[in-house]
Order: sequence, then C-alpha cells, then structure tokens
Amino acid sequence: MSVQLLDRELDRLEGLWSDGLSEAYRDYLDAVQRFDPDLQPRLALAAALIELGIRLQGLGGRAAPPTTLLVGDLCLARGSRILADNAPLAVQVAFAKAVESMSTAAASEQPAPPVRSLLRLSLEAEG
Amino acid sequence: MSAGRLDFATHQSTQFVDLTDRIRDEVERSGLRTGRVHLQSLHTTVGLAVNENEPLLHRDFQTMLERIAPTGAGYEHDDFTRRFDIAVDEPVNGHAHCRQLLLSAFLTLLVEDGRLVLGRWQSVFAVELDGPRHRELALQLEGEFARPRRNEMPESLVEVELTRQLMVDPDPIAAPMRRLVEAGGKRLRPKLVQLTAGIGPRNDPLRAAELAAAVELLHNATLIHDDYVDESTHRRGRPTVAAAEGPERAIAVGDYYFAKATRLIAEMGNPAVTSQVAQALEAICASQIDDVALRGAYPGDRESYLRVIRGKTASLFAAACASGALLSEATPEVVGALRRYGDLLGTAFQMADDMVDFSPSSGKPVGLDIRQRVLSLPLIYAAEDREVGPEVRRLLEGALGDAEVGRVTELVTASGALPRVRKEADALIEEAVRELESVELDGLRPVLVGLARSAVDRTS
Repeated sequence: MSVQLLDRELDRLEGLWSDGLSEAYRDYLDAVQRFDPDLQPRLALAAALIELGIRLQGLGGRAAPPTTLLVGDLCLARGSRILADNAPLAVQVAFAKAVESMSTAAASEQPAPPVRSLLRLSLEAEG
Repeated sequence: MSAGRLDFATHQSTQFVDLTDRIRDEVERSGLRTGRVHLQSLHTTVGLAVNENEPLLHRDFQTMLERIAPTGAGYEHDDFTRRFDIAVDEPVNGHAHCRQLLLSAFLTLLVEDGRLVLGRWQSVFAVELDGPRHRELALQLEGEFARPRRNEMPESLVEVELTRQLMVDPDPIAAPMRRLVEAGGKRLRPKLVQLTAGIGPRNDPLRAAELAAAVELLHNATLIHDDYVDESTHRRGRPTVAAAEGPERAIAVGDYYFAKATRLIAEMGNPAVTSQVAQALEAICASQIDDVALRGAYPGDRESYLRVIRGKTASLFAAACASGALLSEATPEVVGALRRYGDLLGTAFQMADDMVDFSPSSGKPVGLDIRQRVLSLPLIYAAEDREVGPEVRRLLEGALGDAEVGRVTELVTASGALPRVRKEADALIEEAVRELESVELDGLRPVLVGLARSAVDRTS
C-alpha cells in the first residue's frame, strides 16, 4: 500500500498500526487476491479496520470504556467508507451482514463466529 | 394498482349493507383519479348490487328473493345424508345459495376526477343472504393515480418504513431501537432526504422514504453510542439504551444499526449516495473523538467548536440533502448547493440546540449540557466575556453540582452570549438560503427556506 494512502486512511488511528492493525491487514491481504491489484490493499485495510473496531468496542464481551469505544466506532466507520468507495456491492452487503450477525449474537448473549473468519468470508461474496 | 379487503359484520339472515361511503374513502385514500374499482364477494352466500338505499325497497327485494327461492323449500343441498365432507356446523342454506345466483359476485364501479361515478339514487350494497356473519370483499383499484405533489412530504411513508425495518429485526436488537424511535425526535434528516429527493427528474417517494428511514436509523445509532459516552440517563424523556439495558447492549444495538443502515443504503444501488452517507458517518465518529478530547479544555474555543459540530451534526444534514438529490438524479450543481445548504443548516441547528440548554420554556432540563460538559457556543462566549468570563471559567474548572450549574446558567444568560449565538445562527441560515438561489429547485425553495428558518427557532 502506498505511504500516502496509508497516511490518509490511518489519520487519528496511527497508534493502532502496531497494535494489531498491521497483523490483521497482512492476513486479509491474502484474502483479497481475486480483486484488482489497486483494490487489494484498500479492501484488506477496510477489513482490518472493521475487525479492530469490533475488538476495541468490546462487542460480544465487556463494553469498552467510552474513549476506546469512540476509536472503535471510527475504525468501523472508516472501514465502511473504504468499502463504500472501493468494494463491489456484494462485498459491502456481506460485511454489513457480518456486523449485523455479530451484533445480534452480542445482544442475545450468544457466541458469535470468530470475527476474522466471518470477514474473510465476506470478502469472498459475489453478486 | 391498489388492492385490499373490505370486511364487515352482518346481524340479520338477509341484510343490505351499504358500502358506498367506505368505497369512496378507499378511492380518496388511494389517490385514484380516473379508473375503476373492482369488488368481488369472497363468499357463496353474499351478493353485490347497486340500487337505492330505501328500507321499504329492501323489504320488497327480500320478499322477492323469498318468493323465488323460499327458505326450507326442500333444497337438495340441504340433504346432508347425500353429501360428503360436510362440516359439523354446516348451515341449512340452499335457499341462500340459490338467491346469490340471482345477484352478482362481482362489481365494477367507475371513477372520474377522483370521485365514484354513481347516479343520484345509486348506492353500493353487499347483500347478506345467510347471516349473521363476518364477511369480506376483495377490492382492487386501477387506473391513473395522483402523484404526490413535490412540496407535500409523505412523512408517514418514513414512519411506515421505520416500523417495517424494526419489525424484521431480532427483538433483543430491535426493542431498544424501537423505544428510541417511537419516543419521537424532530426527523429533520429524513425530511431533508424526502424534500431533496423530489428535486431531480427521478422522483420516487418510496425510494426516498427508504433512504430517509435508513438515515434516521443511522442517526439514532450514533445517539445510542453517544449516550453511553456522555453517561446520559435520559433521551427524549425516556431512559437511554445504555442506562436501561447496559453498555454492552447499547454497543451491540448501535453497531447493528450502523451496519444495517449502511447496507440498506448500499442495496439501493446508487454508489454516490452510499459514499455520501459513509463519509458523513466517518466525520461524525472522528468529531466525537475531538469532542471528548476538547472536554479537557472545557469550554474550549469557537474554532474548535465549529470544527466539532460540523462533523458531529452538520455532516449528516449535508449528506441527507446531497443524497436525496443524488437519488433523484439532480444535477451536480444542485447536489452541491444542497450539500452546502445542509452543512450550514446543520451548523445553525446545533447552535440553536445549544441555546435550548438555557431556556426554561424548552421542556428540557436547563443546564444539562453544562453538567455533562458538552461543547456549547453560548458557554464559550460567556467564558470569553470580560465581565462574567472569569467566574464562568472558575466554576467550570471545579465540580458541577446543582448550585454551580445554576450559577453558570445565570451568568451565561446575563452575558449577552445567547443573543450573539442566535444572531450567528440566523446569519448561517441566511447564508444557507442564499445557496438555494443559484440553482433551479422545481418550486421547492420556499419549503427548504421555511424548514431552515424553523429549525433554528427552537427556544420556546
């Protein structure tokens, strides 16, 4: 991913790069091989941001303190915006449905599937 | 085409039920201007007729039916020993079936200029032949329907869409959101979507209502997380989701509707609309972080305040206006003008909202923003005031009990900060109105101007 793109998309979230975001990003890069090379880093970053956002918020576990929740919200929102601007509709919808199912499980106090496997599956969605 | 059912109860074995007014109501409700109303009896012992509503005449009809097909005249249908699969409560009603054969099970009525075409003495009847019972007729209306006028917002469509969306969601998620949505709110953002969606050539009220409802759900999702962050106990007069159900549930409900609203918008298939709303959501979240960070230097300064409220409040107003216009395929010039209008309106709206915190007649508890250390322009101006500023700043630095909040409120009110904020909000509204002057809005300008002016008039 270009340094400029990374700088722009990590604005206010720079500290997270060494705190799990880069590891998740690298892992998702492996799951976006079917997309145009230009899109691959964007989609991998979107998935990594959404995963980290959910973890930071404490969705399905103990609620994060307010300031951490806000950072998690920003991760989710930025990931969604990157998807909106770059991902095929089927992938956008699959990501949204993945978050809906994790939220439903959390609200029902039921176990949810692992976030990463759910999001990797979302990257495979086809219209 | 519009379709439905008309149901009614009868109380006598033979009865003429006048349905004329109910059919007229259906025609009016549907907006049918020119066309036909089709009625069909869903029963074998109910007929349909058009005739005069005169009781003695009805007795004549009844006598005639009795003469032609008398009750208990030895109908083969009533010989249960020769029939199969008869219900335990099968009625002895051969006469009623025979009488129904003399009437019709179908009826078509004409509609012209939105009115049922009937002669002076004509009424429309369902004729009960084997009552008393509950009965049902199928109704279809076809033809040319009036299009909603562009300046008339079918607000109920948004409420129906919100109800529909909340109905299909799992209860642990939907119930808290339903309580929040049903508690009210001004619905300004969906109104803006609906209005601006009527500007371009593709004016589709149903799609506009879907987008408007999704935007409202998104707004409410942000409020649910906000209330947890601000430790608010009440919103719209009811306990917040976090207060009522705990922060874990509040986070899950907020996340669910972030995702669902985003999906509903994406599924509308207009990438420009999806992008507008996604950008707004990102701006809201980034500004929330700034908002909380600025509370360390409470009450902050005007520049920081404007940066925060443009992201936190104005961005979704701007996105609502732009996305509605984009949905209707308005020109880029119109979309741009409406986006700027929404941004200015949202900023002014937030300033007016800040003033409500100091208004005893607003219906909201006075001084709540001060207590929660929420950014507020009147407070910023009062803190900068040469006379009251030092005391305001000193009070805000300490713990804020009832006495301190009361005193700060007095000082802000005495400082002249409120008229200054009002003047600033009014100036932004005038600027927003000017944005509308350079583009063709197909007659919607007065409505948008009125909405903008009323949005800041909230202190009483």
